[in-house]
Amino acid sequence: MKLSCLQENLSKGLGIVSRAVATRTTLPITTNVLLATDQGRLKLVATNLEIAIVTWVGAKIEEEGAITVPSRVLGEFVNSLPNDQVDLKLAPATKSLEIKCARFEARISGMDAEDFPPIPEIDEGTVARIDAGVFSQSLTRVVFAAATEDSRPVLTGVNADFDGKMVTLAAADGFRLSVDKVALLEPVAESVSVIIPARALTEVNRLIGDSSDPVVITVNPAKSQVLFTMDNVRLISQLVQGNFPNYSQLIPQGHSTRTLVDAEEFLRATRAASIFARDASGIVRLQVDPGDNGLGRLTISARAEEVGDDQGDIDAKVEGEEAKIAFNAKYLSDILSVLAKGEVVLETTNPSSPGLIRPGGDTDYVHVVMPMFVQW
Amino acid sequence: MTIGDGPQRCILHADLDAFYASVEQMDRPELKGKPVLVGGPPEKRGVVAACSYEARAFGIHSAMPMRTAVARCPRAIVVPPRFDRYRELSRQVMDIFKSLTNLVEPLSLDEAFLDVTGAVASSGAAPVHLARELKSTVTTKVGLTISVGVAASKSVAKIASDMDKPDGLVVVDPGQEGAFLAPLPIRKLSGIGPKTEERLRRHGIATLGDLASRSDDWLTREFGKRGPELAALSRGQDARSVAVHRAAKSISAEITFPQDISDPHELGLQLDRLCQRVAARLQHSPTPGRTVTLKLRLADFSTFTRSATPGVPPRDALALGRVAHGLLEREVESGRRFRLLGVGVSGFVEQRQPPLFDL
Repeated sequence: MKLSCLQENLSKGLGIVSRAVATRTTLPITTNVLLATDQGRLKLVATNLEIAIVTWVGAKIEEEGAITVPSRVLGEFVNSLPNDQVDLKLAPATKSLEIKCARFEARISGMDAEDFPPIPEIDEGTVARIDAGVFSQSLTRVVFAAATEDSRPVLTGVNADFDGKMVTLAAADGFRLSVDKVALLEPVAESVSVIIPARALTEVNRLIGDSSDPVVITVNPAKSQVLFTMDNVRLISQLVQGNFPNYSQLIPQGHSTRTLVDAEEFLRATRAASIFARDASGIVRLQVDPGDNGLGRLTISARAEEVGDDQGDIDAKVEGEEAKIAFNAKYLSDILSVLAKGEVVLETTNPSSPGLIRPGGDTDYVHVVMPMFVQW
Repeated sequence: MTIGDGPQRCILHADLDAFYASVEQMDRPELKGKPVLVGGPPEKRGVVAACSYEARAFGIHSAMPMRTAVARCPRAIVVPPRFDRYRELSRQVMDIFKSLTNLVEPLSLDEAFLDVTGAVASSGAAPVHLARELKSTVTTKVGLTISVGVAASKSVAKIASDMDKPDGLVVVDPGQEGAFLAPLPIRKLSGIGPKTEERLRRHGIATLGDLASRSDDWLTREFGKRGPELAALSRGQDARSVAVHRAAKSISAEITFPQDISDPHELGLQLDRLCQRVAARLQHSPTPGRTVTLKLRLADFSTFTRSATPGVPPRDALALGRVAHGLLEREVESGRRFRLLGVGVSGFVEQRQPPLFDL
């Protein structure tokens, strides 16, 4: 293998695949990145066996070949180089990669490319195409609600239900649930429902970045793997096997109070209350005062026995009766952070029933969160 | 703490009558109308876990040594417990409770508190009708009878359910709590055990009315802050709400040995088995318990406990065993014969965030 490319492009490519490099592993080669010539370009691959990321870097190939080298060493070294041409050459006898750039030279010991785990080719199955911006916003609003503990594996994933021209994404961790339904660019040939690891989708969202190219999602016929094809990058993930809980019954169908407030003001008041909630089991109390003619008030407060207390008021448009409900400060600020701007709607029934939070305006997104038990 | 400004609370305490024994009589019709004792066999130092009403006529009650029970009623039929079956039926009954209100606080397999304030308000039905309906639903659907107490607070409802067993229904109207409780012996109040009863009796307090009439100052002097709390309960004042997700206060297991044990090695093996049983249940606890308690009973029936609170709360049998063995080692001396060994974990942090759905 012998080729040359630009430091800037190589550095960017290594940064992209580094997200899939294994950190703790029993298979040492998975801490390496695979470099291989591929149809006039340099292909970079990394995998932790749950996900794999593949990207390509423009290069001038003089000799075909492939090698794997420790991702961290190569990445850090390339990052420290000036933005100039980089020459890469494999020394087969020593299985090492020689790197030359400006007046720098390095040799990094590697391992055979043949020993690198094979990355599955997914070239058939159910294909869905979705707008990058739409998909990214939906992932931001759903993925955070997935469980981070492995005690129930299906909940560490996001349930993706492709049906006709829509995809419904849902994540839940036992205390909260996020569901969003967004349009695909064209209908899928057949309905398919899979559970995609939240970690994989977090990476997909990061990889979409500012790109405006549609994301192509391919689920293999065995429904064991999924491929996301983005601009010059592919991410392949194992799917979580199992049954996702039937979440539709968890979404409250009615409410006794509907409170409309500004998302940023709500988040600011929640963050202020969180400071005191830290020492009070995370409890943040919300009180809704309908006021006159629907011009009411939402009061966000927290009280820690030995620290102190705080209270913040924000303007609210209220339909229905006055209401009290307490939430975990983290859950509340998590959802308000992803809604970020504009109006947010809080629908409540009583202090012990789940609350429903959604953005104002026309959207199919809902977030359901279980309140905390408090003495009022 | 205040009760809140809401409507008059309405709480039911529902208790399955002689639960285990009734299940055995239901599943095996030949046992109907006969004295039935559920528990371990008398020759193995078994204890009565439950007894049918026919057996109670002989003065038999639960927790009595099986040997004593059989002596009182030699023709009683001793049946080994089938906990899986009891759990299954308990779940069916609790599901019926939950169809009436989602505020159900199970206290054990056979009893629960139900806050039906909402159901009363929305249906407009009198509480007594709801209670009657609940009783007949349980009898038709499961085949067992329950006794129900209806009151504005948990403690009064619990006492009421016990007043007319079996298949009873006692309603204490709001405002009548004091009059209802006054003539009752103090032991009826949950929270007053034999020791507290003895101390109260020494002061001439025999009924809940006696207790209710004492001043808080005097009670505080004699009994500390628990005094006024008990007196408030004896007046029917109890603001505690029905806690749907009540975290376990302690998880424990104990064994009475068929023969007394003095060999340290054998005691250690028994302790390991108990630790494994407790650890298996600990896995289901949402929060870890901080305190490990060892319970010991010697051949002369003297009973005592030893506790330790390790820096890291134990979550598995190994960690629990380390602490428990440390406690046991200090108590084992030559010639000391142990009749019972128990191990428990307590000091659970209160769980205030209920789940959206069961994991």
